[in-house]
Amino acid sequence: MDLFFWEIARASGLAAYAALCISVLSGLAPRTQALSFLANNRAVRALHDWTPWIVIPAALVHIVALLLDATARIGILDVFVPFLTSYGQLAIGLGTISVDLLIIVLVTTWLRRRFSNNAWQWWHRVSYLGFGTMFLHAMLSGTDLTSPVISVLSWASAIGIAYYALERLGKALNPSRVRA
Amino acid sequence: MKANSPTLPPIPVRTGPARASKRSGPVPAWGLKLGGLLTTFGVFLGSFGYANANLYVTNAPLQPATVAAVTTTDATAATSATTATAVSSTASTTTTTLTSAVRTTTQPAVTVTKKS
Repeated sequence: MDLFFWEIARASGLAAYAALCISVLSGLAPRTQALSFLANNRAVRALHDWTPWIVIPAALVHIVALLLDATARIGILDVFVPFLTSYGQLAIGLGTISVDLLIIVLVTTWLRRRFSNNAWQWWHRVSYLGFGTMFLHAMLSGTDLTSPVISVLSWASAIGIAYYALERLGKALNPSRVRA
Repeated sequence: MKANSPTLPPIPVRTGPARASKRSGPVPAWGLKLGGLLTTFGVFLGSFGYANANLYVTNAPLQPATVAAVTTTDATAATSATTATAVSSTASTTTTTLTSAVRTTTQPAVTVTKKS
């Protein structure tokens, strides 16, 4: 049974990564026109607002499968408190941090009306850090990242998101060039 | 009584080339959502198939400490026909007692052999 949970954990980990890529990219797209070839900004924004419905289940399945896999030896505390595991502290700890950051982003989004727009935006920018830690977690601990195909796809999506994030940052720092 | 409103000039007819506007793609929001769902589910199924076909990845970056312990105990069990005692390689001093009679394994049983 452990092997089944192990396979589920590996597959759901990659699915959670893909779902988070879609979420971050659709969040960047309205300002960077990254998905303008596909749809207008209203539709892309609707996709971004909907992505928790694919990110949360994939992440939950990944966590529950690892909790049930006795070989992985992941406890409930390891899910929320980083660097407590008996092996691979950094690799697994980064995954724990990304879960914590994901929770922060989701909770602050659901409580958005209680924040000022500026405060909420700063909380929402934590998602970039969450994506970064999840990517490092995948690279350092991902069993299937040794496959060239999976590795290339993972790196390509991360590089694409990094490119659009930098473009977005550039537009935020120099808004006069956007208007010109 | 007629309203005293000024007559507006006619709208000039645009004769030059139309301004090139950025057109966005035609996919509706539900199409994007469906695409996102199918992509995530497709990645899950594809990865599950890959993980099923490659259960033991020897060059995986992360190996639980139990793998090292099992390897050590396997080597010990192979050299000794009688009861062997192996000390786990982890920090905690766990002592495992093995017998040569029955050994549990996660490997599938060998049912077919090939003739040379």
